Amino acid sequence: MSVLVVLFLTAVLALFSGVYNQGKFARYIGILGLLVALCVSFSPELAFFNQYKSMFDFNENAALFTKISLVVTLLIFFLGGFAFNNHRSHQSELYSLMLFSLIGAVILFSFTNLVTLFLGIEILSIPLYVMAGSNKTDLRSNEASIKYFLMGAFATGFLLFGIALIYGSTGSFDVHVINTFSVANPKDLMFVMGIMLMLVAMAFKVSLAPFHMWSPDVYQGAPSLITAFMASVVKIAAFFAFFKVMNLAFAGSIKEWINILGVLVIITLLLANAMGLAQTNAKRMLAYSSVSHAGYLGLIFFGANSLSVYNLAFYLFAYSLATVGVFMTLIWVEKLKRETSFEAFKGLAKSEPLLAVVTAVSLLSMAGIPLTAGFVAKFNIFAQAMNGAAFLVLIAVIGSALSIAYYLKLIISMFFHTETTFKSSEKVSITYNIIAVFIIVAILAIGIYPDLFKVQFGL
Amino acid sequence: MLEALLLLPLIGSGLVFAFRNSNSKYLAVGIAFVQMFLTFYMLSLFNNVPTVDSPLQFEIIKPWSSYIKSTLHFGVDGMSMLLLLLTNILVPLIILSSFNENKKYNNNFYALILLMQFGLVGVFTALDGLLFYVFWEVTLIPIWFIAGLWGDEEKRIKVTTKFFVYTFVGSLFMFIGLIYVYNHAASFELTDLYNANLNEVQQVVVFWLIFLAFAVKLPIFPLHNWQPDTYTFSPTQGTMLLSGIMLKMAIYGVLRYLLPIAPTALLGTSGQVVMILSILGVVYGALIAIVHHDIKKIIAYSSLSHVGLMVAGIFASAILTAQGNFTFEGAQGALVQTFAHGINVVGLFYCADILIKQFKTRDIRQMGGYAKAAPKFATLFMILLLGSMGVPLTNGFIGEFILLKSIFDYDKVVVVFAGLTIILAAVYLLRMYGKTMFGTGDERVVNTLKDISNVEFVVLASLAVVVIVLGVFPSGVLEMVNSSLKFIYSSIKG
Repeated sequence: MSVLVVLFLTAVLALFSGVYNQGKFARYIGILGLLVALCVSFSPELAFFNQYKSMFDFNENAALFTKISLVVTLLIFFLGGFAFNNHRSHQSELYSLMLFSLIGAVILFSFTNLVTLFLGIEILSIPLYVMAGSNKTDLRSNEASIKYFLMGAFATGFLLFGIALIYGSTGSFDVHVINTFSVANPKDLMFVMGIMLMLVAMAFKVSLAPFHMWSPDVYQGAPSLITAFMASVVKIAAFFAFFKVMNLAFAGSIKEWINILGVLVIITLLLANAMGLAQTNAKRMLAYSSVSHAGYLGLIFFGANSLSVYNLAFYLFAYSLATVGVFMTLIWVEKLKRETSFEAFKGLAKSEPLLAVVTAVSLLSMAGIPLTAGFVAKFNIFAQAMNGAAFLVLIAVIGSALSIAYYLKLIISMFFHTETTFKSSEKVSITYNIIAVFIIVAILAIGIYPDLFKVQFGL
Repeated sequence: MLEALLLLPLIGSGLVFAFRNSNSKYLAVGIAFVQMFLTFYMLSLFNNVPTVDSPLQFEIIKPWSSYIKSTLHFGVDGMSMLLLLLTNILVPLIILSSFNENKKYNNNFYALILLMQFGLVGVFTALDGLLFYVFWEVTLIPIWFIAGLWGDEEKRIKVTTKFFVYTFVGSLFMFIGLIYVYNHAASFELTDLYNANLNEVQQVVVFWLIFLAFAVKLPIFPLHNWQPDTYTFSPTQGTMLLSGIMLKMAIYGVLRYLLPIAPTALLGTSGQVVMILSILGVVYGALIAIVHHDIKKIIAYSSLSHVGLMVAGIFASAILTAQGNFTFEGAQGALVQTFAHGINVVGLFYCADILIKQFKTRDIRQMGGYAKAAPKFATLFMILLLGSMGVPLTNGFIGEFILLKSIFDYDKVVVVFAGLTIILAAVYLLRMYGKTMFGTGDERVVNTLKDISNVEFVVLASLAVVVIVLGVFPSGVLEMVNSSLKFIYSSIKG
């Protein structure tokens, strides 16, 4: 919980820097706060916070996921300087909103009570609705915001209704009590209804098909940096919460929901990858790719064992690194070209080889090519799900096979076109180069030596 | 020793990437030659007739991951040694063959070739399922970039995408096949994979999952769609890597992984289906090669035909062994032929490249009369051609002979179709030679023709020497692969 306090103070400070017209410092305050929070997350939790354990338990797993999200948010903050340089007027709000959203994520990592879960989801989402619309003059951004908000509100309704039904049948919000109930009465009708409603709401948040309809429009409309945040940190938070609530609270009734989840995963894997093939816009393609990754992640529910949380963390970290790697290039291209079609990337390898390489490595990691982090991540999940859900793994492999085609499209645009469409005067900043090198090294290092991930995050 | 072989191409590739200079090709070829001599040195240390059961030498075992049951386990037996020799002899020659290109190859091109070599050495020495898969895919990225960046201007994007998607999809199925076995064996260690205790149905499923990857890479008849285009529109060096070495990964994979992991599948229809498909490929490839006029396509289809025969031989012996008649002749023939085909096809593609540059067309109908202008070339081309046809005293003969013998043992009807390969190969290869080398040709073009340069001569001559030496003294190769094949085939017997 000390992480939460540090993040909250940072967010407030960043917000107030804008009030006193010092918005340009908000990013530095944020980076500093995130670094402090990262240090704090490595130290053991203060005994004082033990009294909140029935609502909020910052245990080992929560710490692991918090560290991952902090690292990814830090990367995104570093990219922010260039991405938001024409947002002079309200920069501080954006950074503090991102931090508030991150607070929601940390709450989601450590909830032990459905009320905390609900709070976490709302704190995570409400800043996102605002941030998605932060390009005030852009129609698409406004559309994204409204669409996300309306759909999100609807999903929240489902979530609340589900929680209410569960409370009605079990008489408690506490996940351990609910778990005991589900083991004793796995087929209780009202209880299972509650699970289904919550499943829908969570599937919406992690964008599993057919509840993914919002994501392509929102991802495309929102400013690219916010999209990167949504695709990485928000995904980490929502998915771990999803996994935790299903596996911790509803484990007893697993037979009632696992098949439904399986169907959702199959639809997601096939639909998202097929739609991804049809895209001509890189940002929209990435949106579908993000949806498809929710499908691969969905395999984590099958054959779950003691390593599952670790596998999930690994996948999410690998995926988030790759997402940041692709989006940093997308931000750069979008700034120069004012569009993000595949055409806009032509000849990038000639003018900005480092950006092109980081994008290529990230995309190959998403596709699961060996020696990248994405390969080990996919291997972990496939090997786990193979026990009992071999058919789903087969579908996932077919999905991967489809996905490689659209990832290749972007790589081909960058590398295989000799004529460059970029002016030689425009060079990318030193920060971007450093982040690019960091991401390349991180993806390859974890891919070649997976135990590094364990060591780095103090497991 | 083996560490050096593995690391040298990787480090060399990094150096060449960093060395942004027009002289980078000399650095690259230097590294490749050092690698070649290292391999020869290793051959001199290699014990052909090991006394112990397991024929592995130069082993490396290092822990890799704390929770994935896989180790960095490398080692060399006769089969690996042969393919290492093939790789490390061909790569320097392939690099050398690019020296005369008019096209600007920069340091990245050579770095990618060395990276590819790293992957190939890894594939041929890995003794761990996951490690094998990793190296298998590592070879894909460099060759994709080589074919995509320096390939034919118009077609390269379409062709390379098709190639990548085909092979990647195949590999993914092998990946889940290996994971499936891993979950039963609880380890990726080769011997554990062999003893995974799968029942018959499971073995059939695993057989097809893993075979799909090899079938695409080889390629086996209905999955060959990517091959002719990729061979035709890649830069010549890319084609040489693909046809000379890369498809041998699949032959190696079939022997090292597929047959011992799923031996019972051979008894059922699976083995017969593979036999039929490969024999179909033999005839189909040869027939298409006869009617084509594009010189690169002719060689591509001839490669399809030859590979079909190798696979048929391997499976003929494997099926016989699984039925109780222990024999590994077919695999022996296939490995000899693997080596020979690697040398011959690289030589033929190089000859084709020289012809295309001289005549500025790929159509053999518009070529002619080159023999008069280029006697040196005509001789070397003929030697490589004879090797490819399997004429006695060339390297192609002994392999093809043993292969046909093993198929004959398997079934007397099948061998009739398999035997067509020799006749049909003579038809399309001699037709190719006649059209390009003899005849009058176009007056204006013939007057501009020149004989080959020194570099080209060195490359072709070294290949031709290997063709003849191996044709006259094949016993060394046969002996080399003997012990490892005995080991593999006795695990099929169960």
